[in-house]
Amino acid sequence: MSDKSLFHVEELCKSFGSGLVLDHISTDIEKGEVVVIIGPSGSGKSTFLRSLNLLEMPTGGKIYFEGSDITDKHLNIDAYRQKIGMVFQHFNLFPHMTILKNLTLAPMKLQGMSEKDATELAMQYLERVGLSDKANAYPSQLSGGQKQRIAIVRALCMNPEVLLFDEPTSALDPEMVGEVLAVIKDLAYNGMTMLIVTHEMGFAKEVASRVMFIDEGKILEENTPEELFDHPKSERLKSFLAKIL
Amino acid sequence: MSDFIASFQQNFIDDSRYMYLLQGLGTTLLITAFAAIIGIVLGFLIAIIRSTYDQTGKMKFLNAICNVYLTVIRGTPTMVQLLIMYYVIFASSNLNKVVVAFLAFGINSGAYVAEIVRSGIMSIDRGQLEAGRSLGFSYASTMWYIIMPQAFKNVLPALANEFIVLLKETSICGYIGLMDLTRGGDIIRSRTYNAFMPLLAVALIYLILVMILSSLVRQLERRLRNSER
Repeated sequence: MSDKSLFHVEELCKSFGSGLVLDHISTDIEKGEVVVIIGPSGSGKSTFLRSLNLLEMPTGGKIYFEGSDITDKHLNIDAYRQKIGMVFQHFNLFPHMTILKNLTLAPMKLQGMSEKDATELAMQYLERVGLSDKANAYPSQLSGGQKQRIAIVRALCMNPEVLLFDEPTSALDPEMVGEVLAVIKDLAYNGMTMLIVTHEMGFAKEVASRVMFIDEGKILEENTPEELFDHPKSERLKSFLAKIL
Repeated sequence: MSDFIASFQQNFIDDSRYMYLLQGLGTTLLITAFAAIIGIVLGFLIAIIRSTYDQTGKMKFLNAICNVYLTVIRGTPTMVQLLIMYYVIFASSNLNKVVVAFLAFGINSGAYVAEIVRSGIMSIDRGQLEAGRSLGFSYASTMWYIIMPQAFKNVLPALANEFIVLLKETSICGYIGLMDLTRGGDIIRSRTYNAFMPLLAVALIYLILVMILSSLVRQLERRLRNSER
């Protein structure tokens, strides 16, 4: 494990009933990497991502985050989750709060930030994603693309070490996909460590430092985007790419 | 018309009989208010225990106790519960009857509030819990800041309905010798041998109370709804 290691995953397994969704996955994620995870639906890629902040409890194996075993039952996971931002397919903004409150709630309650500082931070990020005029709006007044950009900002306001994206554009109308991908790209160029589950292959090619192909709960292939997309090795990946490209 | 006035005079004015209704109304409101408070506290606690068990599998033992409580309370008449509370459980104590009524109606109401609130918690999308937890909030804080405010708003009409039912249900507390609004009217009836006036007056007072309560809830609902647009 180098000091750049962020996640070190060892023989990670997850089963629902008798079905093995994650089948002994091992990998390392380093700081600054942008890892895009692709694979057919039901392959376990979302489960893998959700295991990394324990939204899914692994049934076997270990996950180390910055050297600490987060699967240890005695460990307070809440402290670690603050460092692991998550963006969901369905945004999951808090509908009973204004956008500003959505963004400042966690920094204020969990990191003890003052309202003034939290607001300043939130406004800075809102500016960056072009939504500063929405600070006092409620989520129901926003389009899907706007909601997802807010969801990204909400995660960013906790100043996380890494961001996990679970199909961030799958629930969006096609014309709104671009605005969300632009925000993620901007983060990538600024050195944010990210793991992104997506079906947007063009985007994967553009921002990924590494692409991971997961099928039937295993990492079948992982490589730079150029190598993986242009010279796929396994038959499974070839047929997957043939179908979607 | 003069008959009506004479009857009114006889039933409510003579011997200050209206005091039976006034004092009874006071007792009714007092019991309803305290029972509602007990019901809310008990109901929310149970709803949280039960939905925590449903969502995380924790609190197995408490959940089992809650289930027994819900089954017993919802499976027996309120009237029987009140009588048991007074003549069995607190038979040998000198506990004030009004307090016995608070407890009986509060414990009864808690069971219904619990199921209403639980349905509200379960109606909130699981993504809200996951979003809260992924930010680093504990299960309890996520419930407090994110789930409960939304659940409460969703169940407010059902909750209000439960308290309207509670208000009317307290009319049985005459059976343990309390003089509530209903019993007050009934006392007048037994004094004047006139059923029409006192009982209609009692019905009218309940009706007005329920209408006031309903309109308060409507206002509250509107205020809560506005906060989302």
